[in-house]
Amino acid sequence: MTTVVIAPMLVVLVTAVLTLLFGSYPRLRTGLALAGTAGYALAVALLAWTVVLAPGAPGIATYQVGGHPAPFGITLVADGLSAFMLAMVATVGLASAIFSTRYVHNIGYDRRTFYNPLFHVLLLGVTGAFLTGDLFNLFVWFEVMLMASYVFVAYYGGPQHTRAAFRYVALNLVASAVFLLAVGGLYATTGTLNMADLAQRLADPAAYGIDPVPVVGLFGLLLSVFALKAGLVPFQFWIPSAYRAAPPPITALLAGATKKVGIYAIIRLSFTVFAGADVPISLSVPGTDLGIAGASPLAFVGPVLFAMAAASIVVGGVGAIGRPSIEGVFAYSSIGQVGFIALPVALAAAATSEQFRRLAVLAALVYALNHALAKALLFLAAGAVRSATGTIAFDDLGGLAERAPALSIAVFVGSLALVGMPPLSGFFGKFLVFEAAIRAEAGGALVVLLAGSLLTIAYATRVWNRGFWGAPSTAVTDARMDRVQVAAVVALAAGVLAVGIGFDPVYEFAEVAAEAALDAEGYAEAVDPGGEAA
Amino acid sequence: MRTTARVVVPIVLVVALSLLLEGHNLPGGGFIAGVLTTTAFALLYLAFGLDFLERGVLGREVESGKAPSRDRVVVAYRRLFAAGLAIAVGSALVPLFFGVPFLSQTYVVLEGVPIYGHVELASAVVFDLGVYCVVVGGLLTILSAVGAE
Repeated sequence: MTTVVIAPMLVVLVTAVLTLLFGSYPRLRTGLALAGTAGYALAVALLAWTVVLAPGAPGIATYQVGGHPAPFGITLVADGLSAFMLAMVATVGLASAIFSTRYVHNIGYDRRTFYNPLFHVLLLGVTGAFLTGDLFNLFVWFEVMLMASYVFVAYYGGPQHTRAAFRYVALNLVASAVFLLAVGGLYATTGTLNMADLAQRLADPAAYGIDPVPVVGLFGLLLSVFALKAGLVPFQFWIPSAYRAAPPPITALLAGATKKVGIYAIIRLSFTVFAGADVPISLSVPGTDLGIAGASPLAFVGPVLFAMAAASIVVGGVGAIGRPSIEGVFAYSSIGQVGFIALPVALAAAATSEQFRRLAVLAALVYALNHALAKALLFLAAGAVRSATGTIAFDDLGGLAERAPALSIAVFVGSLALVGMPPLSGFFGKFLVFEAAIRAEAGGALVVLLAGSLLTIAYATRVWNRGFWGAPSTAVTDARMDRVQVAAVVALAAGVLAVGIGFDPVYEFAEVAAEAALDAEGYAEAVDPGGEAA
Repeated sequence: MRTTARVVVPIVLVVALSLLLEGHNLPGGGFIAGVLTTTAFALLYLAFGLDFLERGVLGREVESGKAPSRDRVVVAYRRLFAAGLAIAVGSALVPLFFGVPFLSQTYVVLEGVPIYGHVELASAVVFDLGVYCVVVGGLLTILSAVGAE
């Protein structure tokens, strides 16, 4: 059996339990948490290497939990796409865990004790969502991830945190109910929830005696749930308050990892599961020529996701400009940036040629990686500023560049990566997204992308001007930066730089990931739900 | 209320135990047994008050006004929760050492046991026991923390 597939999950699961058991010994707990996250990164690296990157690697590996065969048991599938996403999460998680070691000690007993277990449960949920090959199991991992994040949003227990948490919980409970409804509907329609089995059955509905038409609407429900997790407009409104309420290392993880689960789920379900579905669609607005027609549910993903992505870019960018605090700017900015990730996915869904579709998914993945690294960096930096100065409001800041040069350089690198300057990771992300838009000959997409980029430059400049340049304010002069926190931020900045300079292997990895996302047949073959090969 | 509780609580606990032990191949299981056990405790709390367990059953002195999460009983509940999680995860990890997938289960059938005759020992019971501890520990922590507020 390929235990390597499940290894990352086991490592975080065991770490969560151990940190809970040894909760009353701060040093041991912190050490375990750090070792566990490092072990997680190693397990992910091993998984990525043996399954995807090594010469002659199979490219895909499956694991049947409990030994029950697909499609009845829970299948875990590691392919290029999962491995790419996991590698991204492991990098962000490691930086966030290092940062956390210096962030947890000064908060109350209960919060301190449960921080590490919850941190790892959050990682566990994200990892499970990336690895699972079963739709209901995906729902379960979403819940695992959400349970931990509920606690983190309400973590400080102040009025604004409770308000943010209440909104977050209420919204996500509705989303979970919708998710479950869609999953139940899919099961009723197709008789399976195993993704590979689902893809096979939908590709040839007559052979399995199913009427696939309801699938279109159910997929629409799923899409809205995933858009909510990713924070796309019109489901973006929970993001700013939740991101401000959660502790900064967790916000880094929320922006860098859990958001990407939404994007991952959209890519996986759109291209691996529903792309081959044989369901002719023809929808039109009554009384007009406007309408959507196509041979699979992907036909409506394109326009709908495009509208959502474009709106996100504009809303996020415009919203970020006027925010009064660093975290506020970055929280709005991540709404816009997810738009940048979703836009090429929309173009890929609308594409007709396989080659272009691969390019567009590749662009989305590279941009997602850039956003995860840069945004985690910036949120951690905001956290470091907050622990050193006690504030993140622009009115009380200024002159950080003088007081904390290392941190400021890292933030500078992160902001430029968001803007998309070479030779940083952001340049290639933006470049590929623009290339996808040009090749798709989507004029509207280009306009939105350009406007979004300009807005990014505007708010990045504003953060720099208000927070880092100028004469140091009183809060900044008295500040003492924590070295470990700064080191975590600088390490991420080095990562952003490294991805930009040594882009070739990253590109190849992303290309493998994009191919894996589109290779529905290979996916189904590896999972083998019919059990022919067995 | 108190009379009812005296009669009902033992019955509830026995039913919970039977649900726990036969859960792997009959309706029942760790989760529902844990919930049932918690209702027995909830009944005790309602009938006799929050301090009854410590003062009446364990014969300890209780300081009133202490932070609920540092209360001794609550600390015990939290330990139970952590131990349950460790048991569940540990039992799920054991199959890996035998070269079979995570969470795999097996069973042994014992024949000729006095009184019972045919007894089936399933490894799933260990996992269920972990789930049971997690549910009891978690729910009782919530119940006593929220109840004390």
